[in-house]
Amino acid sequence: MRILIAEDDADTAGFVERGLGELGHVVTTVSDGGDALHCALSEDFDLVILDRMLPGLDGLTIVRRLRAAEIAAPVLLLTALGKIDDRVEGLDAGADDYLVKPFAFSELAARVNALGRRPPPQAIVTKLAAGGIDMNLLSREVRRGGKVVLLQPREFQLLEELLRHAGEFVTRTMLLERVWDFHFDPQTKIVETHISRLRSKLNDGGLPDLIETVRGVGYRIHAE
Amino acid sequence: MITLVRSAAYRLAFAVSLAFALATLLLGAGVYYAAHAAFAREMDASIRQAETSLMAEYRDDGIAGLSEAIQQREGRGTDALGYALFEPGGHRIGGTLDTPAPLPGWRTISFLDPAEGPDPARANVMALPAGYRLVVAADLEPLEQIDRTILTLFAAAFVVLLALGVAGALVFGSYLRRRLARIETTANGIVSGDLTRRMPLGPRNDEFDRVAASLNVMLDRIAGLITNLRQVTSDLAHDLRTPLARLRNQLETLQGQADPGGRPDAVEAAVERADEVLQMFDAILRISELEEGSLRSRFATVDLCKLLRELGETHALLAEDAGRTLSTKAEGQCLVQGDRELISQAMINLIENALRHTPAGTAIVIGARKAVGEIAAFVRDNGPGIPEAERERVLERFVRLEEARSTPGHGLGLSLVKAIAEAHDARITMSGNDGFEIALYFPAIAAS
Repeated sequence: MRILIAEDDADTAGFVERGLGELGHVVTTVSDGGDALHCALSEDFDLVILDRMLPGLDGLTIVRRLRAAEIAAPVLLLTALGKIDDRVEGLDAGADDYLVKPFAFSELAARVNALGRRPPPQAIVTKLAAGGIDMNLLSREVRRGGKVVLLQPREFQLLEELLRHAGEFVTRTMLLERVWDFHFDPQTKIVETHISRLRSKLNDGGLPDLIETVRGVGYRIHAE
Repeated sequence: MITLVRSAAYRLAFAVSLAFALATLLLGAGVYYAAHAAFAREMDASIRQAETSLMAEYRDDGIAGLSEAIQQREGRGTDALGYALFEPGGHRIGGTLDTPAPLPGWRTISFLDPAEGPDPARANVMALPAGYRLVVAADLEPLEQIDRTILTLFAAAFVVLLALGVAGALVFGSYLRRRLARIETTANGIVSGDLTRRMPLGPRNDEFDRVAASLNVMLDRIAGLITNLRQVTSDLAHDLRTPLARLRNQLETLQGQADPGGRPDAVEAAVERADEVLQMFDAILRISELEEGSLRSRFATVDLCKLLRELGETHALLAEDAGRTLSTKAEGQCLVQGDRELISQAMINLIENALRHTPAGTAIVIGARKAVGEIAAFVRDNGPGIPEAERERVLERFVRLEEARSTPGHGLGLSLVKAIAEAHDARITMSGNDGFEIALYFPAIAAS
């Protein structure tokens, strides 16, 4: 992916640029709000990562200008402010995702992947499948190897998130946001517990485990 | 004198007394003119009356009759008027008024008073046929007497008032200054660092005392905030030292380790320590954000019962894994005004506490209960609970009961609950001798 990073803190910018470069992305880094807007308007990027506080123009203004210019590239806002209102403001301005600094690189990488793979908004998915699991979003039915697996609503939502991003890591924070709609860390094991339930239901009868867990990174269902 | 001019109290007092004195002066002038005019009118009226009756004599009996009437009037001595009748040559032929013949009309004449010498008088001079002239005059002495009396009275009043005013202003001004000086002295004391000083309060509860009382309340609040801030800063420094020191030790061990195969675990542990510190900061920032009180603008209607059912569903599994049971009692709809995520966070912290600080096998119940004008969200368990004496203290920042020291946690969970409750105007109760219940009483809003 071609990614534009606008970040005035050289340390953070360097660490993000190196990390994303290692993942095979083509990264352009700017440190000034005006430059960021100019680059995003004149070149074609698959993703824009914007710091909220930038010299020149602030991140929110840049997002608004980009959206006004009908640039649809997904925008991920980074911020040092962890205030509750900031997230809402950022999303209202037209950003697609929001990450509070300091963040773990694995968290950023997972979100970058998720944003890059976003299906076009008009495409309506009714079926998801990966690794022998079939999920029907209309009948709310899950089958593994043709056999029906009965899931609780939360477990269903968890599996849906994993299947939507099959082959990629989904972080604990992303699951908290998307399944529970919690934009804070409850500092409990709710994600772990639900994943473990989901796993045991899917693996019922001694089937091999499909959900990969990497501590400190997240969960992944292999595409095949 | 400069201090007198600079003092608002003195200026005010002087201005008021000067205004009173000037008002008195104005009143005096008014009274003077009114009295003078009234007396002068009366004088003219009595002159005219005497004249009328004399003219009647003249019409009946001519000059001789007139002379005789004048003589009779002077002889009776009943009125304070003087008379003079002049023949065409200008010689006085009747009356005792000693004055040269004046021209006809109303005028002020001068006559020779046998007792006092020349004196002014108010007179009307009538021209009679054949060049005769009749003068009827009233001595101006009584009028002048009245004028003098009025002027003297009011001048004295003016001087007395002015003196009283100045004295009053000095007393009033110095009283005000003294009262204000007490507040000023205290304020200066506080400025120079003595935060324990408070404004002195008088026994009368007057406006100065009320201002002083308000200032004291304000000072108490500020002192409380400062103490809190100091406490938090030192607690923070103290409580952060532990995970940071552990992190440092782990990194140091890692540095000295020759075998790279042993590293992943140690790195993972170090990352966990770092996360611990970051979580602590998150909690502290969230608490101070809540204490600022600016979050109210995002409050919306939240169905507390639905929220509790969802939390119950999610956490029942968690409890089961931890060897406890969790059931939910929250039927129907119960609406409160608030932030869904914050209330969730508070309730999760309470559930987490119940899971952590109870023995295995404990039954935990979460739920909602309607009270008068309030809706209580509670977490109840049949565990040992928190001793009554400690209940107030556990809500404070970084407080961890001795028994809890061995379990993970940073001592901010309940203070976050408290901050969230306060942001929602909810009160916290802790109860139960057999088992324990902690509840948040939210103000209820009517179901629509």
